[in-house]
Amino acid sequence: MTRAQRIAVISTILTALYLLAFFEILQVPLVEGAVVQEILPVLPWWLLVSFGSYSLWSLGWGLLTFRDCPEAYEELLAEISQAKNELRSRGVTVD
Amino acid sequence: MNPFASSAALDMQGQFSTQDTHMYSVILPTYNERKNLPIIVWLLAKMFADNQLAWEIIVVDDASPDGTQEIARQLATTYGEDKIILKPRAGKLGLGTAYIHGLNFVRGDFVIIMDADFSHHPKFIPQFIQQQKAHNFDIVTGTRYRSSAAPSLANAKPGGVHGWDLKRKLVSRGANFLAATVLNPGVSDLTGSFRLYKRSVLQHIISVTQSKGYVFQMEMMVRAKALGYTVGEVPITFVDRLYGESKLGADEIVSYGKGVWGLFVGV
Repeated sequence: MTRAQRIAVISTILTALYLLAFFEILQVPLVEGAVVQEILPVLPWWLLVSFGSYSLWSLGWGLLTFRDCPEAYEELLAEISQAKNELRSRGVTVD
Repeated sequence: MNPFASSAALDMQGQFSTQDTHMYSVILPTYNERKNLPIIVWLLAKMFADNQLAWEIIVVDDASPDGTQEIARQLATTYGEDKIILKPRAGKLGLGTAYIHGLNFVRGDFVIIMDADFSHHPKFIPQFIQQQKAHNFDIVTGTRYRSSAAPSLANAKPGGVHGWDLKRKLVSRGANFLAATVLNPGVSDLTGSFRLYKRSVLQHIISVTQSKGYVFQMEMMVRAKALGYTVGEVPITFVDRLYGESKLGADEIVSYGKGVWGLFVGV
């Protein structure tokens, strides 16, 4: 089963459960009827907004913590010139 | 005298000139790398010698017009025909097939794949090897996004990138976030191509991978996870485009999106 198929099956089941609860065909256990009627209609929007804010936070955090490494660049340049000298002395053509 | 040091015992135990009895093969696909090839080979040779490892480099050249193969032959004379192995191909046939071609000639039990343009530095390879040994990983991948190794490694330095402006970093983070959400690959850097594989693992994964281009690297990692192989990570520094600016066009972004979707429905 591919990942897409797995996710399609799981989301179909969850959507079906949600719709059954929304149209009051199934009762949600442990929660009062009135509370359920208030929360269920906004649940999808809540999920969407939560996912959006999580994504924004993740991107922002990722950008903030993205390290630059100038020391790696300098070290590499030094090594390149060292390599060129050594290789030329050993007879390899280095441009 | 010490019986284990007698010549008979040494003959039976075998004498190894390296403290690590594995052999490490590096597959370097090249196209017009005349300037970079000698230096990357020098860096690799120095690193392997400093760490007393048995090594070889397989240069898979796609008929470069700039004389890369001639440089490779000079390097083979300098370092040894058994160390630098040139396996040319008739034309520009792509990265995936370059690895498959190189794998035919690999004599080591571990294979390292990396770019030949200095974006990947050989100094991280000993850390890859250390990480692999510590947990017997099938694959160890370098990651630009982490500051510590996963699982942790004592002497790992934080990863990073040089040469990217804010926009490029945003695109990179966005792309990684997309891939992580859609594919949940279990690694922090999905498009990275600096990896150490066990040879059998690489052979297996390559035989089932179908994409071309850099989506190929992503697919290999996703397939590895789907097949149940263990993956460790080591932070690396990535010096992009040593000469010149790093550009990323809109087509590449679109093809990346298509690649991620293709993997989502395909694996």
